Amino acid sequence: MKIRALAAVGIATALALSACGGGSDDTASSDTEGAAQTGTIRLWLNGEDTPQELVDYAKTEFEKQNPGSTLEFERQQWTGIVEKLTTSLSSNDSPDVVELGNTQAQAFEAAGALLDITDRKAELGGDDLVQSLVESGSYDGRFYGVPYYGGARIVVYRKDLFKDAGIEIPTTTQEFVDAGVKLKQENSDTEDFSGIYFPGKYWYAALPFIWDNGGDIATQNGGQWTGQLSTPGSVAGLTTVKTIMDTASAAPKDADESKDYLDFCKGRIGMLMGPGWKVGQIVNEDDGCPKLEKDIGAFALPGKTEGTLAPSFLGGSNLAVSAKSEHPELALSLLKILSGDEYQTKLADLGLLPVKKSLLGEVSGDEAAKAQAEAAENTRFTPASENWAGVEAGSVLPDMLVAIAQGKDIATETKTADEAIASALNQ
Amino acid sequence: MPYALLLPAALVLALVLGYPFARLVVLSMQKFGLKQQFGAPPDWVGAANYTTILQDTQFWHVLYRTVGFCFAAVVLTMVLGMLVALLTRRVGRVLRLALIVSLLLAWAMPPLSATVVWQWLFDTQYGLVNWLLTALGGDFHGHSWLTNPWSFFGVALIIVVWMGIPFVAFTLYAGLTQVPGEVLEAAQLDGANAWQRFRHVIMPFLRPVVLILTALSVLWDFRVFTQIYVLQKAGGISRDTNLLGVYAYRVAFGENKFDLGAAVAVVMVLITLGFTVFYLRQITRQEEL
Repeated sequence: MKIRALAAVGIATALALSACGGGSDDTASSDTEGAAQTGTIRLWLNGEDTPQELVDYAKTEFEKQNPGSTLEFERQQWTGIVEKLTTSLSSNDSPDVVELGNTQAQAFEAAGALLDITDRKAELGGDDLVQSLVESGSYDGRFYGVPYYGGARIVVYRKDLFKDAGIEIPTTTQEFVDAGVKLKQENSDTEDFSGIYFPGKYWYAALPFIWDNGGDIATQNGGQWTGQLSTPGSVAGLTTVKTIMDTASAAPKDADESKDYLDFCKGRIGMLMGPGWKVGQIVNEDDGCPKLEKDIGAFALPGKTEGTLAPSFLGGSNLAVSAKSEHPELALSLLKILSGDEYQTKLADLGLLPVKKSLLGEVSGDEAAKAQAEAAENTRFTPASENWAGVEAGSVLPDMLVAIAQGKDIATETKTADEAIASALNQ
Repeated sequence: MPYALLLPAALVLALVLGYPFARLVVLSMQKFGLKQQFGAPPDWVGAANYTTILQDTQFWHVLYRTVGFCFAAVVLTMVLGMLVALLTRRVGRVLRLALIVSLLLAWAMPPLSATVVWQWLFDTQYGLVNWLLTALGGDFHGHSWLTNPWSFFGVALIIVVWMGIPFVAFTLYAGLTQVPGEVLEAAQLDGANAWQRFRHVIMPFLRPVVLILTALSVLWDFRVFTQIYVLQKAGGISRDTNLLGVYAYRVAFGENKFDLGAAVAVVMVLITLGFTVFYLRQITRQEEL
């Protein structure tokens, strides 16, 4: 009896398994047959920097160029995107085209998650592409990710509040901090007012101060990475950051910068540090404040000494095709649209840096664009290691900054961060 | 024959639990990073991953923290659950219904939604708690509850216990209905006060239920994930607030050390298994279930 039951279960299981196997084989083969002509392409873009109208344009254009094919768009959040890409790009349900932050791209390129498009580079812009943005899309001499946009961080400020407080545009770090403090004092009757909005987790904004004082995140020597945050230069920069947090900012010590535009619209911010498209986000129709537009100005963050600019973090992202994409040709056709002149010009209108040298002149002529062009001349980047994504996912820098914001000892916290960075980069 | 009846269930268990666990154990003995995730063949490294995590002070901090958090959560859940159950017995019909409905609602709420709601309540800038405490005369304006690990775990504890109480209270309430009224009455006539009646009459009847509930609560609270993970996103310093489950996830998916993450997960499974076997043996030895 027992044996018979076992046999029955065994046979049933075998039948069930073989049925599954057969089913999936069928669908797979029919998919590949149709791949060359038509199919559905899934595109992931992250965050709010690409507005819906541009997505709609890309969709229409793609479906016009590839009759019978459709473009499915999914918006992802920047927070946790590394984990999400790790699981999704290796699954059978992988999106076809993904956006990767330029600090994150190399990890996936090194791992073989992305399609090698070296021989298609010419069609995607070739030598016209901005070289520094191409670098994050390349690994080991191969090209994987076409640049999508670039952006340098600038200071966005309220002209009317500057005028009321009698402040000129600062030309040194000290003047910048002083202006923040003064703005905060002058507007002390506004609840939670920040002269300089500096939330605890905002590590992109802390980097210029570190670099400008001669510090760095990490350096490589003989193949070995060493954390540099506890060096005197970095500590000096972080001390300035701490001063700003304590005396000029009322931003939450435990938050990141993603909601800064809401506080800006409430009139609670004198200055904030943001990418070029921040102005666009502030004055957007949905949850922004178009009314404030005439009072918004921008300048590049000044350096320690008069007449210099602090190095700015080069933000930006790359677009890449998943190695698992079933329709690589369609995916490439989409890449061509997104890096194409027409689409890139539209991005430039939003205040983002286009990825082609021939289009750099297209950046619209407003103050934010000018400030960004200035800042873009002196940009720096996170350590060029395929393991850098691990440092970001481990939230080493935000953790350190939050601890410092809370008043923990800078020397101790930077040492802890250095250890974490070294252990992540030297894998 | 009775064993043959167990067979289908055993097979299903072997498939849905056995396979992933076997895969996890294999993973924990390989070198498995991002490259392997995308197809490179993994190398065998034997117990190297285990030695790495066991020598890591961070791992031990996380383990102690997890045990401490679990202990606090279980004790609070059991005590408050018991009090709610006793209260439900004592109040009138309308109030009892209201209590039961509230408990059900709390229990029916998915952990993710519950955590997000609680996190809003404790929000630094716009939270109700800060507003209320400030209105009551304290200076909690812009106070962030999540940056300090102690108050972080305080908030986490509230959420976990809040979600754990309904099940405990319901089960104990059901258990309480089994306590014979005449015995309680006899005890009262003999002059036993409320505490003595609870201690010497009610508790012996409830003992098996309490033991099982404690075991279940330990298992649930030991591997708490959602609450901690969401709160960390909202503001906590992850290094100081990781518990084992979140730690394994962060190591595996954050730092792309799937091998080390798997080793942490295996250690976690072994701890829970060890606890379960030990505890259940104790119960079956002492009690006639």
